Amino acid sequence: MNSNFDPEFWKFHEARKPSAWSSFILVILVFGGLINVVNFGMWWFKQEPGQFWLFFILTLIFWWSIFRMIIMWISYIAINKPRKKKAPKDLSVAIFTTSSPGEPLSMFDKTLEACKNIRYPHTTYLLDDTQDPAFKELAEKHGAVWLELVGIPGAKAGKINAALQKTKEDFILVMDPDHIPFPNFFDEVLGFFTNPDVGFVQVSQGYYNQYRSFVAQGAAEQTYGFYGPTLMGLYGLGSSVAIGANCTFRREALESIGGHAIGLAEDMMTAIRLHGKGWKSIYHPVIVTRGLVPEDLGSFCKQQLKWSRGVHEILFSDLPKTWNGLSTLQRLTYFGISTYYISGLTMFLFLILPYFTLWFDVIPIDIEFTEFLTHWVPLALAATVIYLYCQRFLSHPKTEFGLHLKGTILKFVCWPVFLQGFLLSLINGKIPYIPTAKQAVKGFTPFIRPHVYIALFFILTVIWVIIKRMHFTPEGEIAFTRWETWGMIFFAAIAFVMTLGGIYAAWQSRNLDAAEPWKDIDIEEINKLNPDEDKDY
Amino acid sequence: MKTKIIRIVVVLAALLLALIIFVMTSYFSNRSVTTINDALVKVGTFWTSLEKHWITKNNQRYGELEWLEPYRNSSLLLKNPDTILFGIYDDKYKDGVRRILALEDSLNTRLPIIQVYTAWGSKKKHQFPLLEVNAIRDLGSIPMITWEPWLDVFDNNKYPQLKGKDNVNMNGLALIAQGVFDDYIDKWIERVKNFDSPFFLRFGHEMNDPYRYPWGPHNNTPETYIAAWRHVHQKFQAANLSHVLWVWSPHPAYDNEFMFYPGHDCVDWIGLTGLNYGKVVGWSQWWTFEEIIQTSYEALSLYNKPIMISEFGSLSYGGHRAGWYADALQKIHTQYPMIKSILFFHSLEDFISTKKILDWTFLYDQETLEVLKYYFNARDSILKNGGDGLSL
Repeated sequence: MNSNFDPEFWKFHEARKPSAWSSFILVILVFGGLINVVNFGMWWFKQEPGQFWLFFILTLIFWWSIFRMIIMWISYIAINKPRKKKAPKDLSVAIFTTSSPGEPLSMFDKTLEACKNIRYPHTTYLLDDTQDPAFKELAEKHGAVWLELVGIPGAKAGKINAALQKTKEDFILVMDPDHIPFPNFFDEVLGFFTNPDVGFVQVSQGYYNQYRSFVAQGAAEQTYGFYGPTLMGLYGLGSSVAIGANCTFRREALESIGGHAIGLAEDMMTAIRLHGKGWKSIYHPVIVTRGLVPEDLGSFCKQQLKWSRGVHEILFSDLPKTWNGLSTLQRLTYFGISTYYISGLTMFLFLILPYFTLWFDVIPIDIEFTEFLTHWVPLALAATVIYLYCQRFLSHPKTEFGLHLKGTILKFVCWPVFLQGFLLSLINGKIPYIPTAKQAVKGFTPFIRPHVYIALFFILTVIWVIIKRMHFTPEGEIAFTRWETWGMIFFAAIAFVMTLGGIYAAWQSRNLDAAEPWKDIDIEEINKLNPDEDKDY
Repeated sequence: MKTKIIRIVVVLAALLLALIIFVMTSYFSNRSVTTINDALVKVGTFWTSLEKHWITKNNQRYGELEWLEPYRNSSLLLKNPDTILFGIYDDKYKDGVRRILALEDSLNTRLPIIQVYTAWGSKKKHQFPLLEVNAIRDLGSIPMITWEPWLDVFDNNKYPQLKGKDNVNMNGLALIAQGVFDDYIDKWIERVKNFDSPFFLRFGHEMNDPYRYPWGPHNNTPETYIAAWRHVHQKFQAANLSHVLWVWSPHPAYDNEFMFYPGHDCVDWIGLTGLNYGKVVGWSQWWTFEEIIQTSYEALSLYNKPIMISEFGSLSYGGHRAGWYADALQKIHTQYPMIKSILFFHSLEDFISTKKILDWTFLYDQETLEVLKYYFNARDSILKNGGDGLSL
């Protein structure tokens, strides 16, 4: 057995169910957090603004993230987990997985083998536009139906819709080709469809290539909370989001909205449309597949750019259109999700703020730092406690628990990408649909450029400040500006350190081999780890 | 019904526990913030000292005041100086004391004391001005803080005693004496602990003047003034801050000063305002320094404390300003041996005592500059040759 095959990863895991007790504790924690928010707000808006616009910007940065945090907390209170239902006999079930030119054949070998290995009777379809006969051979080898769908617009979603026309199954699992499903996948999912109102069932996502790099680790960390407490909370509020990978749809539901939505954030769009039509959805926090996260910074940034642009499209175009069909809570949560990437703008503002003081001597707010701390620390403390407490709802707490610092750094590093997505959506600019790379891409990614410039600008600023104070600033002014100047440099240094983290990630990505992590995965071994329990079909 | 009750009880219990959490996090953060802040001040002090040693090595003014070195770190010497310590207040000092430096350049001297004013209150600017005193020390001078107990800007929610009063300053000194503002004073003292060089502290000045500040006799009694002074002083003593020099500073226009004297044990210096408003305002005439100071000086010199002219200056309208300065300085040397410190009141926009904005500066008054330059020349050369500069 290979050392990269961690049995812990390939065993079925599920998030724990909230108890009355844990919900009660969460309510308390959230109330406590809200009181802290009020306390902070009453202090913040009493302060003397320095330069008005800078104060305004700073207020925006702080209160935007606090607002988002509150939405998050509210959804945490609603955290819920559906009661599993036994899969009924004789449903007609299909798996769609898509292949595109350039994707590694050996990966499909593993995916198709694993699909075949799923116990509930089903048909696997390979939606192929590679025009490479090897893919057809591979499909036949694993008993999958090969569907050639060349030249269909709309990329992945387009192929799914075309395949819907050519197939008849009532339930369709859309499986990302980098994911390796467990044999009990359908046993977990299909039971929910006994409720005729359920339009789709989304399951959690696990990954298995975190060990490969800083980026992979960080990217995985960013998903832990999302697939745990966040989506469980959204489910509780009635607005589960289809993530794309591993979502099982009812054909009737998809047909009611004219097929799978097409676009950069097509999965979320599909979910919103289904909810708009009144379909119910299930988020089932179980790990029944594991897949790949981007390993190099370039691929990660491309993925994030795609999502940022796509999610903003939803915000500006799709959400208003479906607004009337959604419940209030669905509106709030979809608004919350579709504004996630606006943090690119707030992070950028946070980043440049200290330079206004350092270069132009304007200050945003004249506050006593201690006072700021006295009001802010309780809030941060409450937020951290809630964050940590909610980790009991991670899909696999043993491997996912933590403060997720790499994930935080990686999110910060994505600010130019988020911002680009936001700005592009303002001018309705387009970016092409590109499947996320399944293997590490070598070289220094151009996405790191803004960070290199920012880092250089920081160093330049420090040098300029030192030279200025050494030779040009009058003695009297130096004496009066020591704390202010170095305080601001310290403030700027926080972002600088995060930027260095990003540059490190890019540096590491530079020398990453394009490995094939799926080669280490042993399907037989997965079968043994997930023994057959309630076979009734 | 039963479920209703249970639900309401559960929600109330959750709220109660949430409140407890809030109080706990606030308490915890209050505790930790003090620690964090102390650590930050230490790191900051260390960092700025690094800057002082490695980057901003141009400490010209500090060097020019080298003769002051024995005084800088000796509160004993400062309680009993053997020379006259000059100083200045300039209301635009925050731009890096530019005008003070310019004035000093024209007078060809450096002034040992720099005065700043700070009010009481709940905001950042009402805290102990650590930045300012550090800067003044970096520049080689000794700081003096005039600490004004305005009660207008305190947060009413934090101080319910101030709520609903038409005049929040009415009997304000009694509130101070009762300890109502102890948390503010304690916080101030906490910051003072980060500055270990001697400095002058002039609390509640001109307390005997019923027309000026809210802590005057129109709102308070002399007894409460003394009680407030002693209360504040006691708090500093309890914190072992013996390097603070207490300047008790009445206005010389009234002969009631003695009623406000807090006591020998808690006063180090006596301050007197020596401002000639000339004929700018109706209640004033062109008064000589002698006319302003004489009566009070006679009475207060009996206390046997060094006397400081804490606000020294003349406007120009209604007389000859240069002559006023020359006469005043001459009288100080010949008639007023107890005066051991003189602080120029170099304020560009003074609107405290009149409805007009008064300009006390003389940065561009060549004649006055000549007089003062001549004076400092003579005095500094005596100092340089080992004299005490008391007789000219």
